[in-house]
Amino acid sequence: MSTYETIAKLLAESKDLDVNDIRPEMGFAELELDSLDVAELVMNLEDELGVPVEIDESLRTIADLVAKVDNAK
Amino acid sequence: MINSILTRELGLTYPIFQGGMAWVSDAQLAAAVSNAGGLGIISAMNLNADYLREQIRKCRTLTDKPFGVNVMLMSPFVKDVAQVCAEEKPAVVTTGAGLPNLYMKDWLAAGIRVIPVVPSTAMARLVERAGAFAVIAEGGESGGHIGDLSTITLVPQVKDAVSIPVIAAGGIGDGRGVAAALMLGAEGVQCGTVFLCSTECTIHDNYKQKVLSAKDIDTIVTGKRLGHAVRSIRSPFTRKYAKLEYEIQTTGEELEQMGVGALRKAALDGDIENGCFIAGQCSAMVNEIRPAREIIETMFAQAETLLKGAPVWVK
Repeated sequence: MSTYETIAKLLAESKDLDVNDIRPEMGFAELELDSLDVAELVMNLEDELGVPVEIDESLRTIADLVAKVDNAK
Repeated sequence: MINSILTRELGLTYPIFQGGMAWVSDAQLAAAVSNAGGLGIISAMNLNADYLREQIRKCRTLTDKPFGVNVMLMSPFVKDVAQVCAEEKPAVVTTGAGLPNLYMKDWLAAGIRVIPVVPSTAMARLVERAGAFAVIAEGGESGGHIGDLSTITLVPQVKDAVSIPVIAAGGIGDGRGVAAALMLGAEGVQCGTVFLCSTECTIHDNYKQKVLSAKDIDTIVTGKRLGHAVRSIRSPFTRKYAKLEYEIQTTGEELEQMGVGALRKAALDGDIENGCFIAGQCSAMVNEIRPAREIIETMFAQAETLLKGAPVWVK
């Protein structure tokens, strides 16, 4: 499973979304995720992949998160 | 005597922090709490770095005990304020309104214990990973900016999520709250509202009277529409704000503008009409103006009695 697929799966599970409605270019705001939701997603991702990701101002979209995880691997 | 890792590691007599409240938590209040054996905290609020440096230095003239600084991460001066903390080296920095990870490296290098306020388990884990000494799990009973979870549900969940000490905040108004917080797994408490009516607190007397006269149902949460829920005591300001908040023609900008300076008007001017009197749900438990030392000693004497009496519940 690719990083993007893992993120989409975690997001769909935790926020009750349809995985087909999630696209890489979507911003967290568009997905109606607030800062607590993003923190939860990042920690779920760390639990799933064992890759720690720092949350900073550059983290705005799903694609940003994919890039951060892939860089940290 | 109730002790915990907080009293031992931070050099406190009582495991209690005084919350960093904007326009309330100045050097005088922080020093009074620290001199009484708790951890006084200066609020950097949204003022510039010069204000904070002056307050830290003033506090050092009033107490030789450890004290802390609360950094509001949404402040326009946050970078400069963070730098002042690294230079002045208060014993503790607490943070609110976001993730402090960007500044933690410098604070940790300066030997400061970083203790962020967290509203969720994921935030607690993130700051633990970045080197936080402890976290303050603040429930929605508290005054000011609040999350959805209550103290009784948040504290044990945060406790289970991290291995660093947890400080409970939100709704703790007497020794019963302290004892309950320790039973929930906390190693200490942070209180704000109880110190609003301390003798040493410099807020306007009208503010203190609002707290003293508040009843159990007298606080209200506004600002949910903007995503910044704030608890305060019902007032002409909150009535006006709450009405406009749910009128569809009111813009977000208008709401934002309405809130600007409202706390300052309450704290400095005692403006009953236009001030926002931030306080928590335990306001009704605050019934007199007393020295900070008496507030703390009474709370912990009651908590100690309750905890010693706990075996009565177990056969």
